[in-house]
Amino acid sequence: MDEVLPLNLLSRGQAAQIEQLMGDADQVHRLEELGLRAGVAIEMLEPGTPCIIRVADQKLCFRDADLFNVIVRPGAASCGE
Amino acid sequence: MPADSSTQTLTVALIGNPNTGKSTLFSALCGVRQQTGNYPGVTVEKKLGRAEFHWQPFTLVDLPGSYSLAPRSPDEMVAVDVLLGRQKAVDEPDAVLCIVDASNLERNLYLVSQVLELGKPTIIALNMVDVARDRGITIDLDILRKRLHVPIVEIQANRKLGLKELKQTLVDTIKANPPVPDSPFPEAFQDEVKQLESQCEDAFHTPLPRYLVERLLLDTSSYLSHGGIREINDSIQSAISASRERLASAGMPVPAVEAMARYQWIGKLLDGVVRRPDSSTKSRSDKLDHFLTHRIWGTAAFVLLMVFLFQAVFWIAGPASDWIDWLKGYASTFVSAQLAEGALQSLIVNGVIEGVGGVLVFLPQIFVLFLFIAILEDCGYMSRAAYLMDRLMSRIGLSGKSFIPLLSSFACAVPGIMSARVIENPRDRLITILVAPLMSCSARLPVYTLLIGAFIPNERIAGLLGLQGLTMFVMYSIGIIAAVLVALMLRQTILKGATPPFVMELPSYKVPGLGIVLYRMLDRGWAFVRRAGTLIFAVTILVWAAAYYPRYEAAANPSEQLRHSFLGQAGQFVEPVVRPLGWDWKIGCAAIASFPAREVVIATLGVIYNLGEDEAEDFETLGETLGSATWEGTNRKVFNIPVALSIMVFFALCAQCSSTLAVIKRETNSWRWPAFTFAYMTGLAYAAAFLTYQIGSLFVG
Repeated sequence: MDEVLPLNLLSRGQAAQIEQLMGDADQVHRLEELGLRAGVAIEMLEPGTPCIIRVADQKLCFRDADLFNVIVRPGAASCGE
Repeated sequence: MPADSSTQTLTVALIGNPNTGKSTLFSALCGVRQQTGNYPGVTVEKKLGRAEFHWQPFTLVDLPGSYSLAPRSPDEMVAVDVLLGRQKAVDEPDAVLCIVDASNLERNLYLVSQVLELGKPTIIALNMVDVARDRGITIDLDILRKRLHVPIVEIQANRKLGLKELKQTLVDTIKANPPVPDSPFPEAFQDEVKQLESQCEDAFHTPLPRYLVERLLLDTSSYLSHGGIREINDSIQSAISASRERLASAGMPVPAVEAMARYQWIGKLLDGVVRRPDSSTKSRSDKLDHFLTHRIWGTAAFVLLMVFLFQAVFWIAGPASDWIDWLKGYASTFVSAQLAEGALQSLIVNGVIEGVGGVLVFLPQIFVLFLFIAILEDCGYMSRAAYLMDRLMSRIGLSGKSFIPLLSSFACAVPGIMSARVIENPRDRLITILVAPLMSCSARLPVYTLLIGAFIPNERIAGLLGLQGLTMFVMYSIGIIAAVLVALMLRQTILKGATPPFVMELPSYKVPGLGIVLYRMLDRGWAFVRRAGTLIFAVTILVWAAAYYPRYEAAANPSEQLRHSFLGQAGQFVEPVVRPLGWDWKIGCAAIASFPAREVVIATLGVIYNLGEDEAEDFETLGETLGSATWEGTNRKVFNIPVALSIMVFFALCAQCSSTLAVIKRETNSWRWPAFTFAYMTGLAYAAAFLTYQIGSLFVG
């Protein structure tokens, strides 16, 4: 699969890779500090708003905002961590 | 054998990500030798502890848990200032102890990479090695040590394992030469930092630490350049902008370059160091989460837990409060018997004992609530509760993290407001603090019980719904509805702004540590006694004096005396104001007297009405007394349903609690917000009581 979509469209158990964090640079920076950044493999654990995702070795609860979104590329991540 | 003559107390700063066991390590190292205080001008708690190793005394500074050393507010600046020796309230640290979660190395090393840039002797305490092992994660420490050039000590803080080695390493590391700071940034970026550093050196009298110069360049929130670092002037500002433009055109846009550089550095560092199992097995935490974060089962479990929590508060704290009440009564009787009637007796009985008792009576439920909150926090459930409630709370512009503080406020607003510290977003936290006192706390319950029992008919609507129970429900709902409306209004007026994305870590579940739970409970409970207790006490004495003076010698009974006291005069003075609420001056009096602490109203109503009326009826209850009270000079009853409702609505919404206001002052670090809370709640209470009485009177006539 080649198309990208917003994180909240992933279904339960679906794996994906973060393509881009879209929004205010300062807010993007804050999420990156928590490990939510482009290239990282994630798994959707509980879809919805907010959702729970697995990022690397941690679980994060995430809710997007009006001008902020996480764009992901579904499918098993191929990026070597 | 004592150490060499130069045995000075060494200062060590303890820093780490949240949920890494930092508090557990701090307690394990210092035991009970801890002291807490405040850094001036911020709401961050200053926590110091003492430890000793081989006759070498240490002072340990516990810094707030944080994912990054990138200050964007005065609160976040504290840690950086302490580490760089710029915070006057503590000594400059001789070393930094960085606690790292072995089961989540990558993210934890982000903070480590920032700490290493400070150039201080640094020690890494690798915690939760057991958790990592359980998940099948193996870490090759030998390679990591070689690459990182700082000592790494494996510990298990909860079992106190590895502490001796940790202390020994601390001593050795401090004696050794400080490390050369290691920068993860590309050369071009470092050159820009150096250039800016020399510009700052020319402009200021004292050079700015390299790390802060770097932060100036990286901080796009403009906190640092606009007040965070006072010395910044216009020429530095333009130098920063020019430098950022050069970096952006070189493919290193600020602030993205930081995460890019640091994660690249971490990637290289961990290459071949961390091995994970090929197929991720479900851990016990995952299985628990499958149930506890489930939309239906998880929510049901949460509701059950909350019901249990509140039941427990009443089961445990109720009898304890009754016992304190009894003790108060006993002390009053004892003092009354020992001392002659007069000012001293009245001061001790109605002032001191009433004041101390008024503080103590809240202690059991505050301790029980803090105990439960500490357990939920430490075992990792709190963030799941916040996740479940986020859907609800985001509708009023808050996040799930506001739920527990608001819920706790139903027992008492003081622990509620104090537990709002977990909310990182400053605006969410402020709104939560400002609306928390609207939740019907347990001190309002006696007021509701008295008036409902006396004036609301014990009837059922359609043979089902009890009218009395319904009234009680309405009183609790009024507070919730008001809180929702106020929160929405604040978000759209004085505290507006776009909602930022909400991210929260869900740590693995663990068995709560007894020591840390008890410590947190006692620490917060004691903080209440110290900060709020003294104020309640002082104000109670003031109210006593206002009711006792000036003396009216001709008074035939206490009620007569009260009428001529300052308080009585104040009640009569405000009568025109409270008349539209359906109140006479006596109710006005009782309302005024209960501004320091609302539960005082029962006692005050008792004094005002009980002995002022027919003295033949000695044994009637307060409710009956109120029921037979009449407007002075007439035989028209003072109390009817609209009056009782208007009093209840007033008490439901009014800010009649000096301890709450004191805690708001403490938590917001300003008198502005308690003043605002007082003003808006009192205004709201008056308006709602007015409407209640006026509309109610149309029906009752």
